[in-house]
Amino acid sequence: MNASSALGAVAPSRLARRNPTVKLAILFIVSLALLFVFDPATPALLYLLGLAAVLGFARIPLRTLVLAHLPFVGFALGILVVNALSRPGEVLVDLPPIRVTVEGLQVGSALALRTMAIGILSIGFIGTTDPVALMTSLHQHARLSARVTFAVLAGYRMLQQLPREWQVIRQAQSVRAPLRSDGATRFGIREFGRAAFTLLVVSLRRGERMSQSLESRGLGLGARTVWRPVPLGPADWLLFAGTLGVLALVITGVGTLGLGIGPGVLF
Amino acid sequence: MLHGASFTIAAGERVVLFGPSGAGKSTLLATITGVVPHSVIAQVTGSVTVAGRDALATEVVELSRHLGVLPQDPDSAVCLPGVEQELAFVLENRAVPPAEISDRIDAVLAIVGAGRLRDRQTGSLSGGESQRVALAAALIGRPEILVLDEPTSMLDADGLRQVRDAVDAAARPGTVAVLLVEHRLDEYAGSRGAAGLPERCIVLGADGTITHDGPTASVLPTAAVDLHRAGCWLPSEIELRAALGLAGGLTEPDVQRALLALAGEGCGAPEVFGPVVLAGRDLAVSREVAPRPVRRGQWPFRRAALDAGDGHAARGGHPAGDGRTEGRRVLLSGVNLELRAGEIVAVLGRNGAGKSSLLLTLAGLLAPAGGTVTGARPGLVFQNPEHQFLGNTVREEIAVGLPVGSARVDRVLTGHGLGPLADRNPYRLSGGQKRKVSLAAMLVHERASLLADEPTLGLDRRSTIATIAAFRRAARVGRGILLCSHDLRTVATLADRVLVVADGRIVADGSVVEVLRQGDLLARAGITVPPLLRWLVARLDSVAQVRRVLDALDTTVDAGDTVPAAEAR
Repeated sequence: MNASSALGAVAPSRLARRNPTVKLAILFIVSLALLFVFDPATPALLYLLGLAAVLGFARIPLRTLVLAHLPFVGFALGILVVNALSRPGEVLVDLPPIRVTVEGLQVGSALALRTMAIGILSIGFIGTTDPVALMTSLHQHARLSARVTFAVLAGYRMLQQLPREWQVIRQAQSVRAPLRSDGATRFGIREFGRAAFTLLVVSLRRGERMSQSLESRGLGLGARTVWRPVPLGPADWLLFAGTLGVLALVITGVGTLGLGIGPGVLF
Repeated sequence: MLHGASFTIAAGERVVLFGPSGAGKSTLLATITGVVPHSVIAQVTGSVTVAGRDALATEVVELSRHLGVLPQDPDSAVCLPGVEQELAFVLENRAVPPAEISDRIDAVLAIVGAGRLRDRQTGSLSGGESQRVALAAALIGRPEILVLDEPTSMLDADGLRQVRDAVDAAARPGTVAVLLVEHRLDEYAGSRGAAGLPERCIVLGADGTITHDGPTASVLPTAAVDLHRAGCWLPSEIELRAALGLAGGLTEPDVQRALLALAGEGCGAPEVFGPVVLAGRDLAVSREVAPRPVRRGQWPFRRAALDAGDGHAARGGHPAGDGRTEGRRVLLSGVNLELRAGEIVAVLGRNGAGKSSLLLTLAGLLAPAGGTVTGARPGLVFQNPEHQFLGNTVREEIAVGLPVGSARVDRVLTGHGLGPLADRNPYRLSGGQKRKVSLAAMLVHERASLLADEPTLGLDRRSTIATIAAFRRAARVGRGILLCSHDLRTVATLADRVLVVADGRIVADGSVVEVLRQGDLLARAGITVPPLLRWLVARLDSVAQVRRVLDALDTTVDAGDTVPAAEAR
């Protein structure tokens, strides 16, 4: 079976062989734990550990890895700048109208690094997980109903078709639009709205037809079998326990060194 | 809309359902599959029993144990990311032991001739492949009834043949009853004619009642005239019987004589066309959008539009990246074409050969991957009219881009017979009406050239004839028209010139008669000529004669007159 993820084909790797529900649970727990951490050291350490794990065990092509970083880097920079400039506290740089505070830099960098830490784990998760396996596993191991998991999978297929559909709609509508004096067509909020409306109508219809197809294939008949169960073995539990152990170690380690900062910094 | 319909289908029986648009064929199918009344609200009286169960009281899902359904649109017929998963899904839902699933997947794929598709992702399948996988998914649960709802209407000739053969193979063992609704039965029946259709036929009248029910071979000739008048596409021998009043089909000398009489003599006055309105020079076409900076530099009509304040063509070439292809995958290259005012040119070729991308490139919506496009800005009518709708009513739709209160709007509304629909929402019209609106909305701008992508796809015969008439009117007032189509009959009726696309280039450029006579070329381009057209092209020397015959047959549709056989001789 050719597994493929949202980031392209899934290469066989140690991380790709692990149970998707376990990987998702790890991602969720680490993200939750980071919500209570406001020092830069913990997320930075977690990011580096995550990066090492992805490089060592995920076999995601380097180019894909770098490209997948971009949205997280952009978001992280945004958070850093907003916090550094807007948070009250001890002034570090004062060049009106720019005023950077120590607290702002500290919280900003912590939040930015949090984004990066969650980012690298998400990349590791998405890049090594086949959506079908994820849905099968969520059905098997997280008791998610088959109606939900297969609706999501059908939605995933529709999502794959959306960019193409959008392009066609834009082309179809712009051929009708009046030309501006420079020979181009206008594409403003109105045009965007119109194209989005068309996409919505077309997608709703397709969604309706797809749900009819799913029903006519017998989705929801009752007890069902699973052809290729996703395995959940000792190695998965080891991964789960190991990662949470490392997480605990990092948080307590940073705390012992006196670098840990909790949510109290906000008040 | 459908009433008084009573029939039973025995196990293993094969049935085709005939009827004009709007007679309720789809409603009937939806009632059998349970979509009506469970998903679509409708009033149903009487009873529907599927495999001993009352379909009106049974949920769609429960009915799925007995029914296999193959819908029209290949994109929504397949729901999951992988072919294997799609097929396994059906068996998993029926709690089939996992150990049996793999073998059953292999077995069903072998029946539909799609064994090598097993490991494919569904997103990479062509239309014909998608439909065969969907057929396999409908069959794998071993249903008692297979319901086929216009399964080939979105496919090209190759796809149609593949799906039809797969359906035949599935029905051969006689374990599953087949109920087929198909729009282009002339194409579906293929060269075998009516013998290529299921052996039993049920005919719905325009009023939604069953008018005939019996063996196809005896019912079709009886119902021929009614169906033909009502605008159904029929296998050629049935159509000729209805139009000429002569039985026996193309092999019958009487029929041949009648057709030759319709063709008349001579090739008519040679057509004279105006100046070139759109031209491609050494054009390379790619489906992918060019990188932004390149696209801005290459917008083909930028200069034409700048120079032409009065909307008239000012011709000027645009060097297009020195023939570089910017790393885009090129579908077609070395395309040289000229479209003249008043001329109608058709582009033929397989799905995916680059026909649509060629139109987009000529329309300036895709930058050429090489070469130049010159001419004034063309109009382009897309395959799915809904993609182009911008207004909330038909009147607003036509008025888009025109000055407020333009007199042209009303003129076009009446001219295209859209007057009664002027205040309706375009999304709520029938398929044929939507096409009409999108065509009218493009023609109202009176651009020098009009491009059209599959303008007759999915239309019944009446709407097709109306579309042909609209294109002819536009050409007569000096538009240059370029269309791509799989509908060879419409192409033969309309086109002054035919281009054939295959192997990444244009392989033929000539009149319909010249091009359709070249069997090996057509085979290479995946084009199947319907029997009647094949015969006409072989026997007649000029396009004008072929057109006279096709026009004469078309005129018998609306009025329902048969051409008197004696006069035809």
